[in-house]
Amino acid sequence: MDLKTGLVGSSSSISRELDLVIAGGGPAALAAALYAARYDIDHIVLESYQPGGQAALTAVIENYPGIKTITGGDIVATMKEQAESWGAVFDMSSLISADPFGDRIQIKADSSTYMTRNLIIATGAAPAKLGVPGEDKFYGRGVSYCATCDAPFFRDARVLVVGGGDSAVKEALHLSEFVSELVLIHRRDKFRAEPYLAQKLLSCGNCSVLWNTTLKEIKGDEGVEGAVLNTPEGEREMKFDGIFMYVGRKPATEPFSNLIELNDNGTVRTHNIVHTSRENVFAAGDVTDNDLRQIVTAVSDGARAASAVFDLLQ
Amino acid sequence: MAILSDSDTAEVTKIFGALVRDVYVKVYTQKLECPTCTDTETILRELDELSERLKVSFLNLQTDREDAVKDGVDKAPAIIVSDGTHSRVKFYGTPSGYEFSSLLTTIIDTGGSEEPLTEGTIQFLGDLDSDLHMQVFVTPTCPHCPSAAVLASRMARYSSRVRSEVIEANEFPELSSKFRVQGVPRTVVNGIFFTEGSLPESMMTDALKKGLADDPSEETNLMDYLQNN
Repeated sequence: MDLKTGLVGSSSSISRELDLVIAGGGPAALAAALYAARYDIDHIVLESYQPGGQAALTAVIENYPGIKTITGGDIVATMKEQAESWGAVFDMSSLISADPFGDRIQIKADSSTYMTRNLIIATGAAPAKLGVPGEDKFYGRGVSYCATCDAPFFRDARVLVVGGGDSAVKEALHLSEFVSELVLIHRRDKFRAEPYLAQKLLSCGNCSVLWNTTLKEIKGDEGVEGAVLNTPEGEREMKFDGIFMYVGRKPATEPFSNLIELNDNGTVRTHNIVHTSRENVFAAGDVTDNDLRQIVTAVSDGARAASAVFDLLQ
Repeated sequence: MAILSDSDTAEVTKIFGALVRDVYVKVYTQKLECPTCTDTETILRELDELSERLKVSFLNLQTDREDAVKDGVDKAPAIIVSDGTHSRVKFYGTPSGYEFSSLLTTIIDTGGSEEPLTEGTIQFLGDLDSDLHMQVFVTPTCPHCPSAAVLASRMARYSSRVRSEVIEANEFPELSSKFRVQGVPRTVVNGIFFTEGSLPESMMTDALKKGLADDPSEETNLMDYLQNN
């Protein structure tokens, strides 16, 4: 039986001055925390109320070098344990605002305030919404963004998965173990997902794919009952018990808009991988405009950012 | 057969080293119609071996009716964690996966030396003039569930005005269906307020404060109180 032994942290009420605040709880932040602790930088990690970030929601990870297969939850739990063993300090708070204060940055979290010399933004990204009618109304009533969490509610059900990238296909494969029938719709005529994953889905017995198809509306009364799809043959209404959305990610950069330059899509504008428009602010992982968004690239960014902070402090 | 692996045992023993006070755990099981009761009992018997500070007692929901009624337990498996003076903090279902993490954290919160709640939450709980019944629906595979489960348990541990129930949604389908749970974590307060996902402590208390003042007559999303301000 799988037993998770990682404890849930608590929010800090303490306010103090630091050399580094790391905002985020996913692989990029955890790698930055590990390196910061080993560099002996006086720091704190604001890990938010959803520790582990998006990686924690991934059912199976098979492309992290050195580990053949592991769940997302286990890999981030191990990363946190490793960082803590080197002295990384965590505050289970979400960052609310980050503002320049002379040559420092003032960070306000849920119940604490920090004045820091340096900041690493590793707040990641949240699942993007499609914005179709019914999406908000039925969230938690059949609309889900987390198959790893919610798949057991759809045992022997008929579900729709929206998206064609790695996340959509990986989570569809996980869902296919639970449901009686799975339909995946993708707006293009081929997957963006890794060919290995795509092939696996195409050969899954209870899965079917509708290409060049988009979701127009989610139908239901108390919960999801169906969806209206735009297909190449015209509008089509189908019955579903659940709808899982994987249509991209929205970078969590809102609190930083007064601090650093952001791109139009909300990502942090970076140069030299982790540097931002402000000398003492760095960015790592899915929050950046770097092209590859994987755990392996996130941890690399985190390590680089902590190293850059160490250099600045010398 | 043991359920905790050698590495689980080593890790939990280390965690229990933080206990400075006795923690009382009551486990309610039953022999019939409870496929997960045996595993739950086994896990708690194994935990009981790992610290002198942990005082685990085992009761039968059917034969120990008087205790069950007094503790407010109506289904099994149920686990109550306390300092021995109350039965406000309950877990229903097998403590496996991420629920194990919530149970461990609650044990440490109860018998550890640090108060995990923030001053803001303590103030909110001190000002409460009505009771709160917090039900948090979770699944063992949900990494975001422990923060919601633990927050409710912490509030109930601290205030005699609050009762918390962390419910494994798959093991209690009728209750999940009653509250229309199709996504987790889902927190239901007094049967009238609900929220999907894990809210930060300050947002939860802020929303509850506004919700209690509003006193709505129909089911209301706690997020509405945060978005409208």
